[in-house]
Amino acid sequence: MNILKGIAVSQGIAIGQVYRYSPFKPTVEERYCRPDEAAWQAESYQNSKESALGELRDLFDKMMRENSGKADIFKAHQDIITDEVIDGEILAGIHSENMHADFAVFSVLSGYIDILGQSEDSLIRERVMDLTDVRSRLIRNLHGVREQSLSHFSEPTIVVAEDLFPSDTATIDRTHVVGIATELGGATSHTAIIAKSYGIPAIVGIPSLMQEAAGGAQAVIDALAGALIISPTPDLCMEYVKKLDDFLEVSARTQKFVSTEAITKDGIKIDIGMNIGSAKLPEFSEFADFIGLFRTEFLYMESSQMPTEQAQYEAYRSVLEAAGKRPVTLRTLDIGGDKKLDYWQLPQEENPFLGNRALRLCFAYEDVFKAQLRAALRASIHGVLHIMFPMVGSIEDVRRAKTSLESAKADLSRAGIPYSPDVKVGIMIEIPSVAACADKFAAEVDFASIGTNDLTQYLFAVDRMNPRVERYYQEFSPLLIHCLSHIVTAFGSAQKPLSICGELGGNPDATALLVGLGLRKLSMNSSSFAAVRQVITQIEYAQAAGLAQNALAASTEDEVKALIRAFHKKLHPEAVFL
Amino acid sequence: MYTKTVKLINATGLHARPASLFVAKAKNYRSQIALKNLRTGREAPNAKSIVILLTLAISCGTEVEISAEGPDEVEAVDALATFIESGCGER
Repeated sequence: MNILKGIAVSQGIAIGQVYRYSPFKPTVEERYCRPDEAAWQAESYQNSKESALGELRDLFDKMMRENSGKADIFKAHQDIITDEVIDGEILAGIHSENMHADFAVFSVLSGYIDILGQSEDSLIRERVMDLTDVRSRLIRNLHGVREQSLSHFSEPTIVVAEDLFPSDTATIDRTHVVGIATELGGATSHTAIIAKSYGIPAIVGIPSLMQEAAGGAQAVIDALAGALIISPTPDLCMEYVKKLDDFLEVSARTQKFVSTEAITKDGIKIDIGMNIGSAKLPEFSEFADFIGLFRTEFLYMESSQMPTEQAQYEAYRSVLEAAGKRPVTLRTLDIGGDKKLDYWQLPQEENPFLGNRALRLCFAYEDVFKAQLRAALRASIHGVLHIMFPMVGSIEDVRRAKTSLESAKADLSRAGIPYSPDVKVGIMIEIPSVAACADKFAAEVDFASIGTNDLTQYLFAVDRMNPRVERYYQEFSPLLIHCLSHIVTAFGSAQKPLSICGELGGNPDATALLVGLGLRKLSMNSSSFAAVRQVITQIEYAQAAGLAQNALAASTEDEVKALIRAFHKKLHPEAVFL
Repeated sequence: MYTKTVKLINATGLHARPASLFVAKAKNYRSQIALKNLRTGREAPNAKSIVILLTLAISCGTEVEISAEGPDEVEAVDALATFIESGCGER
């Protein structure tokens, strides 16, 4: 038995036979031919192009039948092979420099792989995988090697490879490939993203994997613990057969709840919101009752310059249109702290989390702030817009932000540009001063959303990026729960909507407690919908309120966790929580 | 030679799919077509190449200059300018 550790990127458990996938890897030497051989080299290049295009057309047709969403990749690869400039440069290499065809293909494509790999734009950097893929395909055809693929297996298989390319993952046999393990890659690698979207358990970044894993061996992928176990003992194997059954049962049961209306057994409806961070709505967005947090930083982080008002308007508009009648809570720029921009060099600060960040930065750079507010207001006629200010610490902050908003409205009115008159204005509650006097803030705003990550960090004076103080960051502490309860009461008596959009909002372990405290709106990543909705449909508000009372009466975080465990144990004797 | 300057407005920039649509459109014309990123000054002398377009790294809000030389230069530039101004087929 051999246990290899890596990074689990797609949760689950898989048992199967190891298939060592070692696709063609181009080994090309710097070789030149005699001038009279150039025509022949050019001809073999043309032939390799034809056969590569033939393969790509077949793959495209196959994907159109089986998984049309993935077919585009093979069109794009055809575009690269027939690219005039690439083709011209390869032929020039052969004819004028007398390069061997494979060397010409390799050097031209490698040049562009380097250029695109250095792009600041992540969308463009992703194309490197496609160029590398095409480069291999052409050279493989030149060398007369047949294509290997992951498309046909007859047994449950664990694919073990150095790394996987787009054409490998697109054609992968999703019925029989039960797990993926790769030597290279990290949490955001191509393999990781695809494995997750297919729901195939995967572990990446396993050092010396290709040396250790023999083909045909029995293996277990435990992507809950991040381990690949090769040739497990019979006992361990049996244990995993059981674990796999449990996992499948629990996730199938949970996943059914992704679209279920979140109503407690005694009839309290909870609105489930979605946190998003891009102009494109993620999977399951159709099941969100509202967009509880639209982070706008991506526009600033993915761009190499300050995004224009027009570009922002386009992005906001597309989100508002996609959300339809559901409100979209747009949070204004929240940079500084751990989020920095290359093109906007700000002075170094001793304590960035206590520094000139988020709303404070916007106040210091009023033109940047107002451009964002105008863009948001312009987009407001395309949906239901709520504007939310982050890092509010005082009533002055709220009033000043509202003044900026009024001034942005005045700019638009003067220019005759329409905006919705019903844009609601709210704040993030993440600084303890706001929590302490929540009633005063409730009087000033239309709504608020609690950012539990920062609130916890500031309440306990713990830098959440510093692993050495991790244990002081207590999301289940009764002290934080008191804070939450106080905010809920203040907004409840002011009859202003309140939601929670921090990590806690999407943590199914916290759901009963939050509902019990009186929260009626929880916003989270869409991947948490199913688990949170499941909890809500299984509890009674009356019981949850009892849990919240007990948690408020507790003194330590451990006591609260024990209360929650006991609460869930009573609901599901078999479930594992916390 | 005929030239026009336009601004790219689709949110994600001239990445894979819009670039591929642009090339397909450009190939309908016989003229030599060039594209320049006015922010970086980088120019693609042959805008009928998807890979070259990607190397220009044209992001949202960037102004680009389209120029063409040949028998159908005016039609080519006008059509491509309209394509970019209308959001590169992304809306």
